[in-house]
Amino acid sequence: MSGARVLEAQVGIVGAGPGGMAAALHLARAGITVVLLDEGFRAGGQIYRQLPEGYDAGHRISEPPSHRAGNHLLDAVARERIRIVHGATVWNARPGQIYYEQNNESWLLACEQIVLAPGAYDRCVPFPGWTLPGVITAGAAQVMVRGFAVAPGQRALVCGTGPLLLPTVTALASAGVKVVAALEAAPRSAMWAALRGVIGNGARMREALFYARSLLRRGIRLQWGASVFAADGDGRVQSALIGKLDQQGAPRPETARRIEVDVICAGFGLVPAIELGLLLSCAARYDAPRGGHCLVVDEQQRTSVDSVYAVGEIVGIGGAEVAMAEGRVAGAAIAARLTSVSFDPRLALHARSERRAADAMLRAFQLRPGLFSICKPDTVVCRCEDVTSSQAAAAGELYGRTTRGIKMGCRAGMGPCQARICGLNLHDIFCDGVEPDLPVAQVPVKPVRTATMIDVPRR
Amino acid sequence: MTAIAAATADVVVVGGGIIGCAIVWQLAQRLPRTARIVLIDRGPIAGATSGSCMGHLMVTPDDAQEYAFSHASVQLWRELQDQQGGFDYNPTGALYLADDPADIALFANLQAQFVACGDRAEILDQQQLRELEPGLAHDLPGALFYPGDGVVLPMTACGAMLRAAQTAGPRVDVLPYTPLTSVLREGDRITGVVTPTGPISSPNIVLACGVWTPEVGALAGLPKLPIVPRAGNLAITAHHASPIRTQLLEISYLRFAHGAATVDPTLIGADQGGHAVNMQPQSLGGCLIGSTRQFRGMNRELNHELLHRALLRAARYAPGLLDLPIVRTWVGLRPFSLDKHPLIGPWPLLRGLWIAAGHEGLGISLAPITGQLIAQQMLGLPCSIDHRPYLPARVVA
Ligand SMILES: Cc1cc2nc3c(=O)[nH]c(=O)nc-3n(C[C@H](O)[C@H](O)[C@H](O)COP(=O)(O)OP(=O)(O)OC[C@H]3O[C@@H](n4cnc5c(N)ncnc54)[C@H](O)[C@@H]3O)c2cc1C
Repeated sequence: MSGARVLEAQVGIVGAGPGGMAAALHLARAGITVVLLDEGFRAGGQIYRQLPEGYDAGHRISEPPSHRAGNHLLDAVARERIRIVHGATVWNARPGQIYYEQNNESWLLACEQIVLAPGAYDRCVPFPGWTLPGVITAGAAQVMVRGFAVAPGQRALVCGTGPLLLPTVTALASAGVKVVAALEAAPRSAMWAALRGVIGNGARMREALFYARSLLRRGIRLQWGASVFAADGDGRVQSALIGKLDQQGAPRPETARRIEVDVICAGFGLVPAIELGLLLSCAARYDAPRGGHCLVVDEQQRTSVDSVYAVGEIVGIGGAEVAMAEGRVAGAAIAARLTSVSFDPRLALHARSERRAADAMLRAFQLRPGLFSICKPDTVVCRCEDVTSSQAAAAGELYGRTTRGIKMGCRAGMGPCQARICGLNLHDIFCDGVEPDLPVAQVPVKPVRTATMIDVPRR
Repeated sequence: MTAIAAATADVVVVGGGIIGCAIVWQLAQRLPRTARIVLIDRGPIAGATSGSCMGHLMVTPDDAQEYAFSHASVQLWRELQDQQGGFDYNPTGALYLADDPADIALFANLQAQFVACGDRAEILDQQQLRELEPGLAHDLPGALFYPGDGVVLPMTACGAMLRAAQTAGPRVDVLPYTPLTSVLREGDRITGVVTPTGPISSPNIVLACGVWTPEVGALAGLPKLPIVPRAGNLAITAHHASPIRTQLLEISYLRFAHGAATVDPTLIGADQGGHAVNMQPQSLGGCLIGSTRQFRGMNRELNHELLHRALLRAARYAPGLLDLPIVRTWVGLRPFSLDKHPLIGPWPLLRGLWIAAGHEGLGISLAPITGQLIAQQMLGLPCSIDHRPYLPARVVA
């Protein structure tokens, strides 16, 4: 154990994705010192993920038009020489203090204001075989392809719901993976609803066109109202059972058919990563279409805690454009606090209109309750503690049908992920009619070494 | 949750922590098949202290009475394991450790106490300790090993007790998320309880509400019961290979946890707090690390400073801990009884009202015997150990 490691800045930002970078840029240009903390090894976040420095993939991953904005942002952040701490696992925070682990060392970032932009987690509805090697989330597929130029397999099934399926399909295809089937669980009517929502938003229209063309060119047809039912294989994925869903979203067994694949990329939406906000005592509320519990912010992105701002997915799943717009708002609001410049309300107006477009899209892709019946009694629902669906059901029956009751009765949600992966599924499968319990934020929000917690730097 | 079918019962147990569940288990074994037991809790089962504690089953040889009390209870835990299982029962024994030369003399004292109770404990030298626990620091001078202790997972043990009760004979209804809102009485007799989903008439109610027992007692018109929360901070590692196999305690823990017979009442509410190492292996791997003690009301915020000291101390004994990832930390509230004995038995001024609370840091160990004493007294059966030191009558004056 060695001496104190303390960084100082006027503003500490958690997450170097579009939201965090946009806030950082705005602040840096106002002459305010910022430090960005990020778990990844390069800036960009999940959406603008970059290959490791100096790495040549040998092939080009096709990028949608929206990535141009991301590239501009990355360049600008680099030009402003904004300090980014990579490989930083933030595990604790209080107003003015962010604690993180980097290379097994314990660090403190001391700052006056905090901007939270930590993004979201992938959601996967459990189905038989989903714990087999070869089943990965849509997000993981993007990390492999965009972040490491690694193709996760040769023949892929892409399934789940929401606008993120399309980038997953194109990323895989441009990395040379054959996409055998692309299944969207929402009914076709969702497409029209989503399109209606984005009409008038030029960038989103261009994006939709790009994906439509990209699929057409490769001869991949997105099947609406369809899903994976099960994954099978000896030690790893060798095939998938897929089929159509009925009006309630439940599988129609008579439509089931088997396809040969060696990788299944499942993305059933995203869950806001709010735990740092909860730890900082920021108010949150449950908003199902926005992905779960979201932090509550005012029109300047300020949370219920005065010196803490939140942007992007943790305010509700919304995508890169929303995150960027909100990042600028938070940056401008903090700049107005710390300097003599005044806040430009047009930024807030713009953020609000991006948010509206995103909300329309999300509403169209809400999970239908029937879908959860792809989860069978012996399907594992909590991977950390190895709990099956029937064990969770029995726990809920005796202990109380809430995520807390289930957790107490069978330890589901007590492992390293602290219910980030299973929490909403447990709720949606077993806890009819009650709002999900607000997750309890406990230190460390991500697992860190005991040594890190002992060797806490002090000022 | 389960709808209340017939709103009458022979006993209503209030509180679904380990104490309430043990009472239901022990009553169900003794009541006729026609009887009906209802358990209500305002939250989920095991949602309070019994879901945020450690699971050391501890035999305490302080004197013959305490030994009989704790030893009988730990035996009942074994019965539950044979009957039901499903709560990660692990009879590891306990290792009492020290690194301060001044504390080593305590090994012999504690050993003598076990012997005086007709039991045995073994003093291990450095070499023997290393054989038993190779993951501990090699400079430790030795330890005292007591083979009779064990470890359980308290949250799932609550369910095991309820499931054992549900198959014992009488009808057992478990109603989580059903708070007690008031108590029905006629003169000096209990006639039932009221909940938001309706009243349940019953000639007997048992208050097993842990640190909330005074507050719930007030609903029954009781004077303020002498039970206060004593906070403990805990940390748990990921399910990696555990550096330890046995339940470990710093021997100074005894002084710290069970020391001085009376407590300075001016400290209740806010004290500096203290810590002594308590570590236990988890069934799925990794370990649970405690433990701190502090009086600071119902506050369940982590005391970083205290936990920090406890972790530092734990790593002193088990250096491998430093590299294990910590997954979670939290605070539990021990129901501390001011005279250090739990309250178990009838409330003398109100017929049909029973109390079972105030077990501080030993409620998991002592739950089965507590349940048994309540059941035996309620049914007029002879008690398996001397129940008088625990009678609530002592606090009536
Ligand atoms: C950090 C820590 C470590 C510990 N380690 C150990 C150990 O290793 N070994 C050991 O033996 N003991 C240990 N203990 C002690 C043990 O956890 C407690 O003594 C025991 O859990 C108390 O159980 P209980 O049932 O009395 O209380 P609780 O578990 O708190 O149950 C009381 C219940 O009453 C309910 N309730 C409250 N008000 C109402 C109402 N109005 N209506 C209905 N229900 C209500 C609550 O919701 C709660 O579920 C530890 C405790 C802590 C905090």
